[in-house]
Amino acid sequence: MSAVEIDQITKTFDAVTAVDRLSLSVPERSVYGFIGPNGSGKSTTMRMIANILYPDAGTIRVFGQERSGTRSGLIGYLPEERGLYRKMRVRALLEFHGELRGGRNVTSEVNAWLERLGLAGRADDKVETLSKGMSQKVQFIATVVPEPKLLILDEPFTGLDPVSADSIRGAILEMRRRGCTIILSTHDMGVAESLCDSIFMIFRGKKVLDGTLASIQSSYGSDTIRVELEGGASVLGALPGIERIKDLGQVQELRMAAGCDPQQVLCTLTGRARISSFSVVKPSLHDIFVRIAGPQPEEMAVA
Amino acid sequence: MRRTLLIAKRDYLQIVRTKAYVVGLILLPLLFGGGFLLIPLANRGNARDLRIAVLDRTGVSAGAVIQEAEEWNRRAKANTAFGSQGAPRFSFEEVKPEADHEAQLLALSNRVRSGEFFLVLDIPPDALRSSGEPARYYTNSGGLVDQQSFWLPGAVNDGLRQVRLKQLGIDEALVPGVLGAVAVVSTDLVSRDAATGNIVQGHKKSPIQTGAVPFFLVFLLYIIAIFGSAPNLGAVSQDKMQRVYEMLLSSASSFELMMGKVLAAVGASLTSSTVYIIGGLLALAGMAMFGVAPLHLIPWFLVYVVADVLMLAALGVALGSACATPQDAQQFVFLLIVPLVIPMFLLAPVMQQPNGRLAVAMSFIPPFTPVVMLMRQALPGGVPWWQPWLSLVGVAAWAFAMIWVAARIFRIGILSQGKTPQFAELAQWVMRD
Repeated sequence: MSAVEIDQITKTFDAVTAVDRLSLSVPERSVYGFIGPNGSGKSTTMRMIANILYPDAGTIRVFGQERSGTRSGLIGYLPEERGLYRKMRVRALLEFHGELRGGRNVTSEVNAWLERLGLAGRADDKVETLSKGMSQKVQFIATVVPEPKLLILDEPFTGLDPVSADSIRGAILEMRRRGCTIILSTHDMGVAESLCDSIFMIFRGKKVLDGTLASIQSSYGSDTIRVELEGGASVLGALPGIERIKDLGQVQELRMAAGCDPQQVLCTLTGRARISSFSVVKPSLHDIFVRIAGPQPEEMAVA
Repeated sequence: MRRTLLIAKRDYLQIVRTKAYVVGLILLPLLFGGGFLLIPLANRGNARDLRIAVLDRTGVSAGAVIQEAEEWNRRAKANTAFGSQGAPRFSFEEVKPEADHEAQLLALSNRVRSGEFFLVLDIPPDALRSSGEPARYYTNSGGLVDQQSFWLPGAVNDGLRQVRLKQLGIDEALVPGVLGAVAVVSTDLVSRDAATGNIVQGHKKSPIQTGAVPFFLVFLLYIIAIFGSAPNLGAVSQDKMQRVYEMLLSSASSFELMMGKVLAAVGASLTSSTVYIIGGLLALAGMAMFGVAPLHLIPWFLVYVVADVLMLAALGVALGSACATPQDAQQFVFLLIVPLVIPMFLLAPVMQQPNGRLAVAMSFIPPFTPVVMLMRQALPGGVPWWQPWLSLVGVAAWAFAMIWVAARIFRIGILSQGKTPQFAELAQWVMRD
């Protein structure tokens, strides 16, 4: 069963179509990654799932129910733009958010989460006295208390140091183990690759990718050569069968055109420079993202 | 409803725990009531001996005039209703007229300037024949209200009448009976007690009941409504800047969020009202004036507080949600206070003719109803029983409309970004589906 079933939703703001006839199915108990450039429609889609915005057309079903205009404790939503009542004390704030969504006392759950994320000692402090990282942890707890069945996290790792990011990552995986479905957006392709069971990419309001990482990469095939050689990018000019070269500094990625033979490329390169490593790989998620969303300045077209 | 009440509870506690609320709660009666409390203290400062020079150019009237003036002052000091025990003590000194009248007046004026005399009373030579030349008093004691005008003319005329009667040879023993004053007092209408069937005499109207109590009630309503609604503008826009609402909106609808804030404002206003009502009643009891307390109006007062704050707080929350910064929110403050300020400007004609056409019409215009109807109800004589109830229907409809408009603005404003919208855009938000 799908946790979220989106069917042909459209959302416009004045003349701008933020989401255009989008359909999506989020499997239950999965971590579903939303990726896409800024302004592509990720947050708008998440807000519509969270019932903060309503689609102009189309339907959204959460656990089988069309929920437009209604709210329950099923969904926990962490917005991209963080904000908490700064004058409230941490525990009181979390109990307020938990009771507002769940309709019941959540003191024991709040205490458990504060303990888990290392904030038990700050429970009676005012929010305004917390560091940015601590505030984000508090907001994360406010999102997961009481335990939702669907967790929507808009860029949950932004601004976190590696230790805090790891603790949030651990909490997300624990939520999945408990049976929660998680939708998260991120600009960190490494996070998307390592954390998400499925990945969805939206670009200019339209869905451009949807599936597991393996299936997405397979659809592109093994069209990338990763090479390390003396002279770097300077010796890679005018290689036959190569569409693009991406200079990563110590390593260069070459995208092959259809029909290109990697053996031929290897032969050509051995005549130009000493090669340290040469491998034929599937494109990374980062590479796929860039191919869809547009060329980056460090890329140079050679075709 | 559960979520609305939970939001209301949080916001209410936040409001009443702020220093601004607590300080305002204490300062308001100090600022307002303090003025009344300071009057006796100020008068106490005036309680010194003041010398009055009586320049009697009739040659025979000074004694009688001084005697009557002393009698007027003795009666004034006996009247303690307004704390007159702090009034000054006057002593009088007859000054013989000199040939050069103008030079004498100048000399006496200089003695007033030097503080030797408080006032110079000049009785003209023809005063006993009522010639038309007025008696004058010269003083440099300025002020909005000339206290001497309340007693000195009566004292002078009483004294002159005594002399005239004496000159006519009328028996002095008869004089008090002839000249004795009869008090003329304003009194409520006589009515019949519905329970016993007995005729109930009207009560004497006091200046406190006819002026101070109605004005105090309306002023209190005005202050509570402003303090209950205007802060929402800045508070909501500040919370919006701090991005606290998006997460809340995943748990509660925009209407629930707005109404939670409005109910919190109503709750804080009712708390203020309760404190002031109890404090006011205790103060009146302490001054042995509990009888002037308009107990029958307290429920209406609370109803009007709820109505005013409902209407204005909803608008305040909505406009605050539309603003990009708390500073932008200040431009909308006038929208909130206009419904309160307009009737305040019209209070004078309403107080003069509480059942006149203007007063009745104003009290049925919903935004003005709370202030004007409360004033009319508080004035002696009151209003026909059905008028407050009928006006309440209009107020309820108006409040409903205001909340509807506010909710339409709030649902868009709370998630809007960028510049603060103009009125035309706000109107579009209201009409947008």
